Amino acid sequence: MEEKNLTEKASLELISQMITNSRRKLEDGNGIPFLIWGYATFFVSLMVYFFINATGDYHYHFLWFLIPVIGSIGMTVSKRNKTKHAGHALNFIERVIGNIWMVIGIASFIASVGAFLVRYPVLPLMLLLMGIGTALTGLTIKFKPVIISGFIGMASCVLPFIIDGNGQILVFGVIYLMMMVVPGHILNYKGRKKYV
Amino acid sequence: MFKELNPLLHSELRLGIMSILISVEEADFVYIREKTGATAGNISVQIEKLSEAGYIEISKGFLGKRTRTVCKITEKGVTAFEEYVEALKSYLDIKSR
Repeated sequence: MEEKNLTEKASLELISQMITNSRRKLEDGNGIPFLIWGYATFFVSLMVYFFINATGDYHYHFLWFLIPVIGSIGMTVSKRNKTKHAGHALNFIERVIGNIWMVIGIASFIASVGAFLVRYPVLPLMLLLMGIGTALTGLTIKFKPVIISGFIGMASCVLPFIIDGNGQILVFGVIYLMMMVVPGHILNYKGRKKYV
Repeated sequence: MFKELNPLLHSELRLGIMSILISVEEADFVYIREKTGATAGNISVQIEKLSEAGYIEISKGFLGKRTRTVCKITEKGVTAFEEYVEALKSYLDIKSR
């Protein structure tokens, strides 16, 4: 493309072409955040479960705070790699999804810190919050596997109440695997399939 | 009656940049370069012209160690773009009669 004048017809064609090129399907690359947070939570759950079971020391619950650390590093690296070659454009839906997760993230952090000050069952609350975020994301991008995973996550928030002891930490990790990792891989697969 | 075509928008690269920015909330320099296929130097000159006209806002930041230039269309830019499309329609309507 250069700095040259166009005919009226060519102008309209150019506008249409640029708008079409900029409008991409929302599943493209959207699986990465689900995979980063899903795997981070799953592996931290395994660590917490293992250390508490092995030592009986409940101070290992502080390991939960590794999740925001791993997640933030993963998101920064992913964003840097993604924008390095193809650049980045933010559309309205991406901004909405970003805001949904910002609110869910802040609520989760407050709930986690609160659980160290006042004793309450934080794992079901986390599942409910993440389920809400996942379902809202799925509804926004109109992608069924993400919507279903979100509602499964919300419904499964009762499971930690049913299971006694440290087993609920393991169940929490497995639910995360189903709620975030599975739809994350499906989203990425759909995105890749488009370019084959 | 022909409406006058805005000369600032009636250029291939500037119109391409404005068409990208009208369809997203903001786009960085690399994205615009990828979509238009133009050289970095040419894009810099054109976004500067669009910015001077008040059609776009340019903000510079950092992503890691790299500088990142982000462009965003303004209200004035949206109005100018809409008027340009209306003017184009008037040309095409009259020619197709």
